[in-house]
Amino acid sequence: MSGELSGRRALVLFLCIAFSVAGCAQEERVLRWGADPSGGAPYVFTDPAHPDRYIGYEKEMVEALAARMGRRAVMVATDWEGIVPALERGEFDIIVNGLEPTADRAARILFSKPYYVFQLQLTVRRDERVINSLEDCRNRLVGTLGNTAASRLLAQKGIRFRSYAEPGTAYRDLELGRVDAVLMDVPMEIYYARGNPRLRPAGPPFYRGVYVIGLRKGDEALKAEVDAAIEAIMRDGTLERILRKWDLWDDAQAELQAAVKRGEEPRYEMTAATFNWTDALARLARAALITVLLAFGAMFIALSLGLSLAVGQSKGPSWLQAVCTVYIEFFRGTPVLVQLLFLYFGLPQIGIALPGWLTALVGLGLNYAAYESQVYRAAFEAVPRGQWEAAYSLGMGPALAFRRIILPQAFRIALPPVTNDFVSLFKDTSVAYAISVWELATAYRELANATGEFLLLGAIVSAFYLAMSLPLAHIARRLERRQQRRQALQALVVEAAT
Amino acid sequence: MRVEGLRKKAGGRQILRGISFEVPSGATLGIIGASGSGKTTLLRCLNGLERIDDGFIECGEVRLEAGLSEEEYRRRAKLLRRRVGLVFQHLHLFPHLTVMENIVEAPIHVLGMKREEAERAARELLEEVELQGLADRYPESLSGGEQQRVAIVRALIMRPNVLLFDEPTSALDPRRSASVRALLRRFVAQGHTMIIVSHAIRFLEDLADQLLYMESGEVIEYDRATELLQDPKDSRTRDFLRQAI
Ligand SMILES: Nc1ncnc2c1ncn2[C@@H]1O[C@H](COP(=O)(O)OP(=O)(O)OP(=O)(O)O)[C@@H](O)[C@H]1O
Ligand SMILES: [Mg+2]
Repeated sequence: MSGELSGRRALVLFLCIAFSVAGCAQEERVLRWGADPSGGAPYVFTDPAHPDRYIGYEKEMVEALAARMGRRAVMVATDWEGIVPALERGEFDIIVNGLEPTADRAARILFSKPYYVFQLQLTVRRDERVINSLEDCRNRLVGTLGNTAASRLLAQKGIRFRSYAEPGTAYRDLELGRVDAVLMDVPMEIYYARGNPRLRPAGPPFYRGVYVIGLRKGDEALKAEVDAAIEAIMRDGTLERILRKWDLWDDAQAELQAAVKRGEEPRYEMTAATFNWTDALARLARAALITVLLAFGAMFIALSLGLSLAVGQSKGPSWLQAVCTVYIEFFRGTPVLVQLLFLYFGLPQIGIALPGWLTALVGLGLNYAAYESQVYRAAFEAVPRGQWEAAYSLGMGPALAFRRIILPQAFRIALPPVTNDFVSLFKDTSVAYAISVWELATAYRELANATGEFLLLGAIVSAFYLAMSLPLAHIARRLERRQQRRQALQALVVEAAT
Repeated sequence: MRVEGLRKKAGGRQILRGISFEVPSGATLGIIGASGSGKTTLLRCLNGLERIDDGFIECGEVRLEAGLSEEEYRRRAKLLRRRVGLVFQHLHLFPHLTVMENIVEAPIHVLGMKREEAERAARELLEEVELQGLADRYPESLSGGEQQRVAIVRALIMRPNVLLFDEPTSALDPRRSASVRALLRRFVAQGHTMIIVSHAIRFLEDLADQLLYMESGEVIEYDRATELLQDPKDSRTRDFLRQAI
């Protein structure tokens, strides 16, 4: 996500700098606002008609606010999950991105007056029979966006959920049956799910929370300016016009605006990050288990497929050799991350929709098979030709000689490098986070994002990885040493024989 | 075993230039020659490991000849190997298998012998070559002489009609080489048909019935052993014998 955007973000940053320099010259004041435009409809997102432009109701709203404040709005594209730290680092002055004023955020940043009342909507597949409300989702898997009111509500209720970085992906996985329901803020539901004939809302929208603008601690003056501007665009009907245009106007908005105009502080619901250590550790342990499962499963595929590839590449008919070579070069020459994304998002288009964990297992297995095939090949070449000939001279055919004489010896030669590869594979399981598989890296990102405990959770997750990879690395080293001793001995024997 | 006009080219060079001989059943042929004269290549041809370019090799009813299709050649080579056992110069024992497993591997998987039966036969042969205590050791832990005898037993258990030896004593000190010689003498007495390549002429004395001296892939002299040793006809044979003794 962040990778695919970084080019665009760099451009935006560059433009920001260019404009702010130009702005200084004219003494023009800017309002730098941060938002995540990827999958960000209808808040702020890339205009499908003009891919070089952002549109969205929040963009129009910020521009109205900025006009009121006598400033020029400049958008800074950022990542939703890192949006608060980015504000704190000063990458922009305000967050305008459907931000909910939670208690844990209140400890770090300031909030403006609310500008929008949001509700949550549960969506299911059209043919769903069982799920009609959130209560029906116990023991089912619900998709949502990470670190949102919806995800916090699900965590509070103890419902198993999978966090997505983009709403579009969540709804697509719902269609494909990879999750059983999706819970999302109504604006996103309107934009991404309402028109989809394969999906339907499960029950009415529920929960009432508000969006606010986030500011750095200590920016009280800017907060006063922003609050005044929000009130102003409510009073003169600008905000209503924008919301109506985006089909987001409803009674709840009317109530909110009436209260703000009366100078009241309206009360709304608010989620809180629920975090207890026993729950977090249990979720981490589950992630560790999935990591182990991924590593072993993928290695099994890599070893068996790698063997076939090695044999096919060196002993098969020429067309098979070509196929094997193309396979190996393809999988070694393209990033495993891209391969996983392709399997996860590309294959469903031809009717193959595997669950995320299986996609990761198969994807890593296919990728590592290419590498293991080369380990095998080197190992086969390291078995002296005399071993083949001794087997032949005893009357064995090629298949028997391969199976009984060559393969066991090649396997011993391959064992140390294979073990080393297994250690790498173990760590590479973390790419599965890109397709939201609940393994250690995903667990770390989500638990840390939800709690801010980046250091402590980082240490724990590292400990999990080390507890599994260190013993393996140790075994690999011992195998290597044993191999070296054996080779030295065999060299002596051969020397003695000649 | 009969060989006629055998020619073999490798790496752009003519390595064997028309070799002919005949070893009657129960007889032993000794092949002598300088290093690089093609002795190993000849044995590899006799074992079907190399494809010959001209001539034929006949052993019982199996006839391997030049000009066969690839497939047919391979089929006959396989049949030939069932009749002809080869003890390699560098032995090529299987390092991942114990002595016993080295020996019974082929009888079980090629001949389809039962494991107990194969192991019983192996034990008898190991006893015969005085290696009874070593069945469970791995080749790398054996001395050169012990490895040599394991390789012999591994070939012998297939009950070949003809046994080929490539330099059976090149790796051994004089005492060990004497004991291998004693073993081969016993094989002669038991009526085995053998072809032994060696450049140690002393080793072949009173072991071989016939001797064949070759140089650059050519048979220089081929005669009864006593004749060739006592009264070599060719001056090149005489030179070789003088240098060797
Ligand atoms: N596959 C091959 N390609 C090219 N040259 C070969 C090949 N095999 C054997 N030769 C050459 O053929 C010649 C005869 O080799 P060979 O091993 O048969 O000799 P030898 O009589 O057994 O020698 P030694 O007594 O040293 O074992 C050598 O010059 C060798 O380099
Ligand atoms: Mg040789």
